[in-house]
Formats: sequence, C-alpha cells, structure tokens
Amino acid sequence: MPSASSSTPKDEPKTLFSERPEWADVQALEQYEISNPLAPIFYSEEYKDATGYFRAIVKKGEMSERVMELTEFIIRHNPAHYTVWQYRYKTLLALQSPLEAEIKLMDELAVKFLKTYQVWHHRRLLLLLQRDSSNSFSAAAKELAFVAQSLKADEKNYHTWSHRQWVLSQFDHEDLCASELDFVDDMLNHDVRNNSAWHHRFFVVFQSGVREGEEDRARVVKRELTYTKQNISLAPNNPSAWNYLRGVLDYSKMPYAQLTSFVNLYAVPTDSDVIDIVDLDNPPPSKDAQLPCVAALEFLADIYEKRGKDDEEYGTTAAVEVYFPSFLHFLESNELILSKQVWKSLAHEHDTIRQKYWEYRIREALVNA
Amino acid sequence: MRPSQKPTPIDAFPTPTSHTQAETEAVLLKHTLDNGDAKPVLEKNAHLQFLIRNFVQGFPQRYTSQDASQPWLLCWILQSFSVLQVGMDPNNKQRSIDTIMEWQHPDGGFGGGPGQSAHLLPTYAAVCALAIVGRPGPNGGWDQIDRTKMYNFFMSVKQPDGSFLVAEHAEVDVRGIYCLLVTATLLDILTPELVEGTASFIASCQTYEGGFSSSSQPYFGPGPTLLDSPRPALGEAHGGYTYCALASWILLQPFLNASTGPKPTVNTKNLVRWLVQMQGTEIELGGFKGRTNKLVDGCYSWWVGGSFALLESIGVNVNHNHDTNDPAKAKPDAEESWDDVDDDLFNRKALQEYILFAGQHPAGGLRDKPPKNADAYHTMYCLAGLSSAQHRVIQSPARRAELARSWTSSANDNPLREDIFLHSLSWVEEEGTSKIIGGAANRVNATHPLFNLTVTHAEGIMGHFYKQTIPPKSFRAPGPAS
Ligand SMILES: [Zn+2]
Repeated sequence: MPSASSSTPKDEPKTLFSERPEWADVQALEQYEISNPLAPIFYSEEYKDATGYFRAIVKKGEMSERVMELTEFIIRHNPAHYTVWQYRYKTLLALQSPLEAEIKLMDELAVKFLKTYQVWHHRRLLLLLQRDSSNSFSAAAKELAFVAQSLKADEKNYHTWSHRQWVLSQFDHEDLCASELDFVDDMLNHDVRNNSAWHHRFFVVFQSGVREGEEDRARVVKRELTYTKQNISLAPNNPSAWNYLRGVLDYSKMPYAQLTSFVNLYAVPTDSDVIDIVDLDNPPPSKDAQLPCVAALEFLADIYEKRGKDDEEYGTTAAVEVYFPSFLHFLESNELILSKQVWKSLAHEHDTIRQKYWEYRIREALVNA
Repeated sequence: MRPSQKPTPIDAFPTPTSHTQAETEAVLLKHTLDNGDAKPVLEKNAHLQFLIRNFVQGFPQRYTSQDASQPWLLCWILQSFSVLQVGMDPNNKQRSIDTIMEWQHPDGGFGGGPGQSAHLLPTYAAVCALAIVGRPGPNGGWDQIDRTKMYNFFMSVKQPDGSFLVAEHAEVDVRGIYCLLVTATLLDILTPELVEGTASFIASCQTYEGGFSSSSQPYFGPGPTLLDSPRPALGEAHGGYTYCALASWILLQPFLNASTGPKPTVNTKNLVRWLVQMQGTEIELGGFKGRTNKLVDGCYSWWVGGSFALLESIGVNVNHNHDTNDPAKAKPDAEESWDDVDDDLFNRKALQEYILFAGQHPAGGLRDKPPKNADAYHTMYCLAGLSSAQHRVIQSPARRAELARSWTSSANDNPLREDIFLHSLSWVEEEGTSKIIGGAANRVNATHPLFNLTVTHAEGIMGHFYKQTIPPKSFRAPGPAS
C-alpha cells in the first residue's frame, strides 16, 4: 500500500479564513481540548486555520455556499479527510445545487489525487444521484471515458479499476458494456502483464451478465481459452495470464487435462527446432521464451494429480484391487509419481523460494490419495 | 549474486511491468551485495529513536495527508513499541489515553481526530491503542469507551447484504469489516444481529485468483447472469484485503459453527496458492507483493506473511509433522537444519532477510523498499511481518481447554460469548518453532495473528470486558522440538 505523501497546492490565495470578513461571524475551534496530545502533526498555517473553521461549521450545522468553498480548500490540502467529504456531500444535498460544477471539480481532483479512496467514492455518490435521471446513460458513459483516461496515467490503480467495475454493475445499459472487451484488449496489448486488466476481463466476460452475441457460452469459453493461450505464447512467464486460464477452467468446471498438449509445450526446456506447424489450439512459445515455465510445470502437476484421483474415483483402482491386488500400490501412485516429480523439480530447481509449498503439495497428495 | 538470484524471466517481451520489475530487482540485488555475507542486524535502537521522535515531537507537515488517521499514527507507534519489547512509563501511557479519548465521537465510535466523524478504521486503531496503554477505572480509557453508542454506530452503518459502510455516506470495504469485528470482539459487543450476512459477504469477495478484493457488488446489468451468486468482486485479489477478509472469516467462525442453515464457503486451496505466489523470488529477497505482477513491498510482510498463521484455523494442514493431540509424534531432529523442517508454507528465512536487508532505513524506521523513506505505517507492518516470520502463533486446543475451565458465565449471556472469548484467546506460540535470522538479538515479540496486538494485551482488554480472570499458561505448547 502506498505511504503518506504530501501535497500543498501552490497557486491559491493565501488569505486565511480568519482574515476574511465573510467569516468574521464564526469562531474557529481548536482541535484538542487537552494541551499536549501525543504524536501531533505539524500542519501548515492555512490548513490549521481552515480546519478550525470547519470544526466550528460542523458544530453549528451550517450548510451553505461558503461551506462548499471551505471544504474544497481543505480537500485540496488533504483529500483523505473523510469527514470533510461527508459534510460536503450533505451540504450539496441540502443546497440542491446543480451537479455540473461539482462533477467538473471532481474531474480535476480525481486526476490530482488518483490514489485517494474518498475522491473516487465522492464520484460514486454523484453518479448515484444521477442514476434515476434521464441522463443516467450519458453520465455513466462519461464516467467510463474518464476512468479510461485515468488508467492511462496509472494503469494498475486499484480504486480506478474497482470504480469502473462498480459503474458497469450499477448502470443498466447494454451499450455501456459493448466496447468493454476492446478496452481490456487495448490495455493488455499495452502491457500483457497488467493483472488489473486481466481481472477486469474476468469481470466483463463472466461476472457481468451476458451481452448480445455472447449467448453461446461454450463459444465464449473457447474464445477466452484461445485468447489466453495466445497471450501466454507471447510471454510465457506471465502469472496473470496463467491465473486467468485457471480461472476460466475453474469457472466453467472444465478439467485442466483438456490443455495438456498446450501446457506440455511450456513445461520442457527451450528447444529451438521443435515446432513450425501452426496449431491455433496450441500456440507454441515464442522463440525467445525462457522455458520451462514455472506456471506450466505447476499446471502439469495439477493435471497429473487430478488424474491420479480420478483413477480412484472411476473405479480403476477398485477393479485392480479385485483382480490384481499386488499391483494396487503401483497403479495407485502412478500419476502421483509424475506430479511428485514435477513438484520436486519446482521445489529444488525452478521455484525454490516456494520449496515449503511444493513439499506441502506432495504431502497433501499422499494424504489424500 | 547468490546462485539462485535469477532475474524474473521476461521472455524477450518487455512491457511496463517488466521494466519496473527489473529496476526493482537491480536495487534489491545491490542491497544483498552491499551487505555481503554480514549477519543482518535489526537496528532496534535506530527504529526506537525514529518512533520516539514521532511519538513525542510529532510528525512533519507532509503527514497532513494522515490528519484523518491520527489514531492509526498512534496505534502504529504503540504497537511498534510492543513488538520491539519496549514498555512505557505511566506518564506517557496517561498522555496516550488522554489523546485517544479526544477522538471518541459523542454518538459512538472513534473518528480520525478530534471532532471528526466516527469511522470503522480509526475506531479499530483507537481501541487497539487503548488495549496497549489503557486500564480499567477512571481516566484509564477502557471504561470511558461508550460501548452502547459504539454498537449503535456499528448498526447504523450496516448494509442489507451483511457488509458495512466505513462511515456514514462512505464506502464499503473489507478493511472496515475487519476493523469492526476486531473492535466488537475485544469489547464484547459482537452479536448475531450485528454480523448477520457478513460471512457471506466476505466469501463473495474472493476472486478467481484465490485472494480477496476490496468489496463486491450485486450486478444489475442486462440479461441473465451466469454466476450462482451475482456479486462480482470489485477489484483484483490484494494482500491487504485478503488479510482482512481471512481474519474476518476466522473471527466469524463462532457464528458459522453455530448456524444451521446453508453456510458460505471460501476456496481454501486457491487461497493458499495465491498467498504463496505473493512471495517474491530470491532476487526479490523473498519479500511479499500485494498483487500478481506487482512489486514487493515491506508492508505485505504482515498482510500476506501474517495471513499464513491463520491458515490452520481454516483447516489447512500446514505442518504434517506435528500432531497437537500427540506431542510424542513431534519430530525432534537436531541434525536437521531448520530450513528443512516443514514449519510453514512460506519461506520464513527469506522474508526476514527482506525486512532486515531492504526494509530498514539507514536513518531509522522501516519502509516499503529502498530507496524509499521510512514511515510509521511501514515501520509497524514490517515489524509485525518480521514477528510473524520469527514466531508461529496458532490456536491451541490445550490453551482453549484451560481457558474454558476458568470461564465464568453471567446472567442472560449471549450463548456465543464463551466461544468468541475462547476462540480469540486460545492462540499460543508453538514451542520450539521460533526462527530468528541474524541471532537472538534480532528477536521481536510475537503478535496475535488476528488482532496484531501481543497476546498479553489482547488478554488484558478482553479479560476486562468479558469479566474473566485469565489463567496463566501451564503447559508447553506442542510443536516440533528443536
Ligand atoms: Zn507498503
């Protein structure tokens, strides 16, 4: 999580609220009643002055135009001051002012304070105020355009992405989602390792309803698998793409074994003269790929492990037990031996930092066998 | 370069992610080279000086961005003192209590500073700070917490889907839920009414990657949804949210166990896989990252590293070599280097090295990564992460039985009170499993995996609010002897 950073707006009037005649009727309130609080913050004079007036305003419950000015001033000094945002929102409602000015201000502040929760939440509140109005579609569409713009400056910003998903969840318009896959594709073309974009793709394809043209779900799943495999072939050592691949299979309850031939290409050391055949289902690794790829080895071990379990479930071992009891041990562990080999190679060679985990997987497989 | 410090493969396909990754690896690598084979030292004195400066003199102007997080600033300092095994004099304790009580809101809960609205996050921070410095009686803080009003505040931000707004007109996220559950647990105001639906909400935040996101949201879009539960997670799996969701899930177990209806579930296998994937490789010195394809950062030493201590409580068989029912089965093997003991699912040694080599700022305090500055937040969570890598604190059936024997119930009891109390305080450090890199001088205190307080502080405040006498621990906690 990002740490504290300072922000002192530069070009603004230096007049303190205590020097402004229009505030003469208000008596600023000190922050602390005790004289020597621990761990105090050394505020700038302007910030201290403004927050003193803010405390006084809250105390008397005033909601007026000048409150909008005061809260904006404080927000520009400290956009994480949630009480100020909260009071500003209540004042906005009380004044029943048109929202245009507020939206315009928020466009400026969101760019300035991209990493602040409150900035994005205030936008949500404003959008909710417009949701049932006649311009709700255009408000949401504008918001998506704004988010797209913000993501250019900060491609993995958590708030921005979850805000986008929130907008898509809240506004009920087929057209809003229409170009969402193209948007994700642009982001991934720019950086195929952007995990936020992969997560967004999962949201769009699987978790936000069925769009026109996507009713054939088997086709959609196939499309996603092809898309992901192609992206893996460009840069095989990309955990985001492999996680997505697992996500698609888990979601559609498809066996990992279905991808065995694809995964095998990535689980062996680089060999330049193997593949020249174009196989869309099994795109080969790029020629500079650094293989074997850890994620492919892990995937392969999962396939073996599952096969070992299925053999038991589907009665292979039961039959063996009846007819060839002495072979039971051998057959039962056949697939397990393979997965164990792969896990061992991960633990001792390819992914040594996770040695304990790979050893745990071996123990678990034996316990559950 | 150590033999295993291979750069992250980029397959000759550079992107912005691989650029920043390579830059970070270069910086981190330099930090191991600079240190050579020297034994890493936890510069306790320098960190103490850093903390005391913040505590007594205060924070420079750039901390204005934390003006609405004043309870956090104090909580981080106080808990850092606790982890560093530093006690406080009565005068500073009293000043801390007096400061904290200025943040209590007249309508219940605590705000981010005097006169600020009640908010779940500072409420947690203020109550934890009081657990450390407070006491019963007049001006002791504990009895000046208005628990009835706090409960009303909690109920006022409760949502129909089991989640909570962090404050009036504010956002929903699992950090707030964690903060609420810890506070309510410590103060004995955790009721079935309060947490109705909350476990389901938590479960809905797990993503396809296995970690948890900030929140989830019902989908109102066109067409039929394909999900069993039409609640997509908002945002990707993230270390901070994952810790909060997992700890919340465990805090809710007394309610889940007691419920007779259909129970929400989390995918434990995917969760474990995601957690271990967050550990950086040798070239990243084994620090933790908070999301897939992001950079390692010291604070995730706690958010992700600290999550491992919680796994056994959700049925993950972390350590097949020990059997809590049969200490004789514990495998004493003096010949085996501790590196080979199956003691946890992550690399405890590497995490300690990341914190010691990269996490410490030369001028005191701890940080995200070099060359960043130290700050109070990273100082606390790097130290807590170091603690979770040094010590294994897990739920012990023997300790639970001991607490149960001395439990005294009161009239018109919430039937789950006892279970909540035992569930929260049965955590003990597994005997013989502490691993201190750099030698005994680097030892820090163990922390409670659910609360991030020391077990002693958690016992103190809970004993008071549940009106129980905490029995001393009278047995050796089982575990692999060494
Ligand atoms: Zn951090």
